[in-house]
Amino acid sequence: MALKVLTVDDSKTIRMIVKKAFQPYNCVVFEAENGVEGLAAATKEKPGLIILDITMPVMTGIEMLDRLKGDATLKEIPVIMLTAESGKDNVVNIVKKGVKDYMVKPFKGEDLLERVRKFMTLEPKTEEESPEDKAAKYFTQVEDIVVLTLPAKVTRPVTVEVEGVLQTKIKDMTAAQLKKMILDMGGVSETNVSLIKLIITAFQHCLKANVAVKLVASPKQGEELKGFQETSQIAVADSIDAARGSL
Amino acid sequence: MSGIHAVDLKSFVTHSFKNVFKTMLSMQLAPEDPPNRPSVTTGQHIVGTVGFGGAVMGNVNIFVSREFAREMTAAMLGMPVEEARSDEEVNDLIGEVCNMVGGDLKSRLCDAGFTCSLSIPSITFGDSFRVESKGWDRHELIGFRSSRHSALLEVYVKTPN
Repeated sequence: MALKVLTVDDSKTIRMIVKKAFQPYNCVVFEAENGVEGLAAATKEKPGLIILDITMPVMTGIEMLDRLKGDATLKEIPVIMLTAESGKDNVVNIVKKGVKDYMVKPFKGEDLLERVRKFMTLEPKTEEESPEDKAAKYFTQVEDIVVLTLPAKVTRPVTVEVEGVLQTKIKDMTAAQLKKMILDMGGVSETNVSLIKLIITAFQHCLKANVAVKLVASPKQGEELKGFQETSQIAVADSIDAARGSL
Repeated sequence: MSGIHAVDLKSFVTHSFKNVFKTMLSMQLAPEDPPNRPSVTTGQHIVGTVGFGGAVMGNVNIFVSREFAREMTAAMLGMPVEEARSDEEVNDLIGEVCNMVGGDLKSRLCDAGFTCSLSIPSITFGDSFRVESKGWDRHELIGFRSSRHSALLEVYVKTPN
């Protein structure tokens, strides 16, 4: 079973460095931008390791750590703190809180892995699903229109996977001069934040590549999307045929 | 405590800035004296700022051209420069560099008895603006040069009384 790693940092750059470091290993990396999101992700995913930044808006890493340690179901999760502050008081404060280790930024991905290997074994990734196989799960083509069909449950790992294959797909589309895409969320069972983020990201990628995109959703989903500021202005078609007609 | 004037700000932030570039970006920086302000404040450029406050107050500002910021982002994320187009990624990178340099300086100040806290970094970018701070006890402007670009690091420090 893959090791679940949760990286909590307000910097996307740092989250990407952490993610990249664990890429060769049998790990699934979850991301959170602050302590509140981090706690929610930790509660939901029960990760085997948390890489936690200190200075973050909304809730700092120290506060999140205190809450983790105060929760019987989460307190045993090993935590490595990342900090830009190497001052004595700061370090003593971190160590006292029972973290496995801490790293002072700047750091390299391999330095982080070295710290992790001190207390756990990282298994190399085996037989990874090929990018083509991943893409085939989500994309079909109807004439000159590429259809991206979202699965029933859109979670953070799903959004990461879809975002990965989407970028490649759009490049392929540009090369093949395909300029239309339908994003079909009709089969999605729950409208959540991961789904909203994925819709926005997909629209942004399409916009950047000059690919026209239409969203297909049920009337109920259409109403739910209006409740999110980010998607409230997106026009929704209720079937693939209707979307094709408007592209 | 012998006062903020006893702290060797310039050597410290110079080492810190070079170390961030070397460790995170695999880029070597050399000092550029005098600092080449026009090359990083003419045309599209970006300024990252992080502040600290407490027994000592101050700002760390980092100035780079937009082009250099994109190269830095590509180096940090291991991607071709052409792919480092997103403002979000470039701004985040400059903010993080500021955070590391500011965090390091803040730690040094705390260890020297000037207890203070660090702010979240902020970013300003465009092609026609100036960043100025006034009324500080200490001010350092340090120029750096990578192979093709210049960068500026500016530090302001003041004690409350």
